[in-house]
Amino acid sequence: MIALFAGLALLVSAAVAAVVLREHRRTALVFASLVVAGCAMAIVPAIGVLASGHAVHVAFHYNLPGGDWVFGIDPLSAVFLVALFSVGSVAAVYGTGYMALGRTAAWPCHAVFALELAALALVLSAQAVVPFMAAWELMAIGSLLLILTEYRVAEARRAGLIYIVATHVGTLALFALFALLARTGNDWSFRALATAATSPDGADYRNAVLGLSLVAFGIKAGLFPLHFWLPPAHAAAPSHVSALLSGVVIKIGIYGLLRVITLLGGAPAWWGWCVLAIGLGSAVLGVLWALAQHDIKRLLAYHSVENIGIILMGLGAGALGAAYGHPLVATLGYAAALLHTLNHALFKSLLFLGAGTVYRITGTRNLEQLGGLARAVPLTWLGFLVGSIAIIGVPPLNGFVSEWLVFQALFRAGHANDALRLAILVMPGLALAGGLALACFAKVGGVVFLGTPRAPRELTKSPQLGTLEIAPLALAGACAFIGLLPFVVLPAMLGAGAFVAGIQLPSVEARATATMVGGTAITIAAITLSLLALAIWFISRGLRRNAPVRLSQTWSCGYAAVTARMQYTASSFAAPLVDLFGRLSGVRVHKGASVFHSEPVDLVLDRAVSPWWNVIVRLALRLRPLQQGRLSRYLVYVIGTVVALLTYLVVRAGGVPK
Amino acid sequence: MIGAELVQRAAALAIVMVFAPLIPGVASRTRSFLTARRGPPVWQLYADLGKLVRRGVVYSRTTTGMFRFAPIGLLASVILAASMLPLDGAAALLRFPGDVFAFVYVLALGRFVLVLGALDTGSSFEGMGASREVTFAALVEFGLFIALAALSVASRELSLSGMLGSAEIGATWTTSAPAILLVIAGLFVLLLAECSRAPVDDPTTHLELTMIHEVIVLDHSGPDLAMILYASALKLSIFGALLVGVAVPTTGQPYAMRLGVLLAGLFTIGVFIGVVEAMMARLRLPKVPLYIAGGSALSAFALILLLR
Repeated sequence: MIALFAGLALLVSAAVAAVVLREHRRTALVFASLVVAGCAMAIVPAIGVLASGHAVHVAFHYNLPGGDWVFGIDPLSAVFLVALFSVGSVAAVYGTGYMALGRTAAWPCHAVFALELAALALVLSAQAVVPFMAAWELMAIGSLLLILTEYRVAEARRAGLIYIVATHVGTLALFALFALLARTGNDWSFRALATAATSPDGADYRNAVLGLSLVAFGIKAGLFPLHFWLPPAHAAAPSHVSALLSGVVIKIGIYGLLRVITLLGGAPAWWGWCVLAIGLGSAVLGVLWALAQHDIKRLLAYHSVENIGIILMGLGAGALGAAYGHPLVATLGYAAALLHTLNHALFKSLLFLGAGTVYRITGTRNLEQLGGLARAVPLTWLGFLVGSIAIIGVPPLNGFVSEWLVFQALFRAGHANDALRLAILVMPGLALAGGLALACFAKVGGVVFLGTPRAPRELTKSPQLGTLEIAPLALAGACAFIGLLPFVVLPAMLGAGAFVAGIQLPSVEARATATMVGGTAITIAAITLSLLALAIWFISRGLRRNAPVRLSQTWSCGYAAVTARMQYTASSFAAPLVDLFGRLSGVRVHKGASVFHSEPVDLVLDRAVSPWWNVIVRLALRLRPLQQGRLSRYLVYVIGTVVALLTYLVVRAGGVPK
Repeated sequence: MIGAELVQRAAALAIVMVFAPLIPGVASRTRSFLTARRGPPVWQLYADLGKLVRRGVVYSRTTTGMFRFAPIGLLASVILAASMLPLDGAAALLRFPGDVFAFVYVLALGRFVLVLGALDTGSSFEGMGASREVTFAALVEFGLFIALAALSVASRELSLSGMLGSAEIGATWTTSAPAILLVIAGLFVLLLAECSRAPVDDPTTHLELTMIHEVIVLDHSGPDLAMILYASALKLSIFGALLVGVAVPTTGQPYAMRLGVLLAGLFTIGVFIGVVEAMMARLRLPKVPLYIAGGSALSAFALILLLR
């Protein structure tokens, strides 16, 4: 625990350094070193907890309402802390290069970024209501400031507004949730809440708490249909911030759901089915809407919705397995959710950083104008390719390992003899999402990095590009590590999954389970694949040695005047699938005699949320006469409120207390 | 003992790899017979492959390493997928719980690199083919997973080696034959789509606008093209072996008998493909998703029957 706090102190000092040094030429170096040192130090206890399976905690007695401030790391929070610090350090280093190439001042963004990392770590390690809520709000405000980094752009201001409204609706639900949980007693530590909730008295509010958790944490996680804040925020923020938002911040929602399960000692079956259905909707609709996007960062943001859906499918399978009394399904489901959380943090931030590099060298995020960047930034293409293969969930990278666990949980659920077996019916949705994701990343990779540029464009050249090209490769290495050697991480994930399910799983048994479910075989398959590819390459090289190799132009079926604009574009590539799903794919088409224009719309934000928001704003304007900026008026309001509250208390108590 | 079994499984894989180019030949021979034409000999694909590996290669100046890696990645992934199938009717070279997902996704990896290779050329035709390929493949994958889920529920297994040709599947013939028949029909429909045969794709056409699979390999030549053609033929055999494994449970039979059943089954599937191609033309592209959805629905009914 001391290492965690020391790491947080280093993160705070990084923020202070950024504020003090400001435009100094060494700011980036000092800031990046402090953040990396802080993350490296703080990740140690988290890894320790995962390796040993033993939770640690420390309590501070402050004599404040709400009881002790407890901080701790258990296997659940350790998984998220590992994701936070690995993504956070790489994104911070990348951010120094990224911001240096931009027009806005870098130091405020750096300072807030370091504080946001510390706030996220506090949310994950807080084990009492008061510090949790405090850190939660710090995190929300930090995210807002980061989204508003480029506040001179109207798009960023709109994204910030949508984000802050959404996140505060979530916070309101969170207040209600904790109010229910902490109804009895003055000790608001998570342990005390868990004891109260699992007692017979807890039965009457457990369902309400679970329902509220889907709103409170669902908005943060960006699950369908509460995802509407996510695409604009991810697109408007600087790319290293998008990486943190998508990789870690939305995962706090998943952490919250899992934390509520541990507090309540499991969830009833109805909640598991709900989560499974929401996961299915998020996965399929997320990837479908991603297909229709023209903006590379919005596209990646919709893929976050998809991946949250996959995580929720694992989570739902785990909750159902526990509810129906199938410990293996429960452990596998939760472990799948946790591992996919970690994996998604790694590969999605890798992809966002790649997209950021594309934006910095070309100045556009519009897929229709890009092409042929593999020659300009080969290392970025390598990183993006690794991220793509990981996100579509094919071997030999980490995305496959966690999707394979989700599939195992669902198939093993299908083998049950009770109602749990119906859980396998959501599996085709997961398969469809996988296929659509492949289509989508074939589109992005092919259109952005391969072929020839679709619009003439001067590429930015700067020594800072070195940072942008190399820093993400650390994440690519992590993706390859988990993908090739899953047996190293699987026991820890199964241990954490069992912890959430409330099952005792000693580390020896966790290792045995990891082998039992096939953890080592993936490595053998991956090695076989590489050896096969190597052998085939060797043979084909031998064949080519005797035969001439000629360079020519692409075969265009005899047509001579080929131009780059004749290439398939992102929209045309996605058109068959977009057409197939009709209105559901959210594409608005303008057709005229000589015009054709299509644009993606968010069915939730543009069709449902925005109209209601306009109504609320109109109603709120009616209240404006109340607010006139005069102190005397406000004092009257305060006194009036106090009097009203006192009257209420007196009336409820049935008279003036003596 | 284990060594001997490994040799047997490896031998089964080798035999399937040797005979794979024969199956498309059987299909086209059947078609030409039924349409009263002479047609190419059965071993035409062997001759084509032999010719191509001796030829030189032409690369487009637009392409990068992705284009050159595509055939290698495709062939490696198809062979790896083949090694996960219990080709000798008993067990696969590579078997583990959940290898069924690895099987589908390894094939997806091969498709992904092939499609990126196609987009690497910057050709509008190859872009068109790539777009169609990923569209239909996504739907096929959906149906394939439903079929595999039905088999997994029937056999209570997570490994292809346990599912195919297993005693449980054999027992399902007696308890729930309609379900197994539906899976077989569904898998055959998906096989035609996945392996680019009529009525989804037309392997004989050479008009770029109408092709799907053929058009994404337009720019490959020489040994690279040979690898792709061979990988496609092997993929057809893999899907054929999957179908044979469901249809004919051979567990407990002698090794030679199991191999014989597999080869006879593959031959029969080749004949069936030829019959389909002789009887119907390629569907219009907008109809293809309906066709694949129909195949998926067959498997979905089977799954529901088995879950009942």
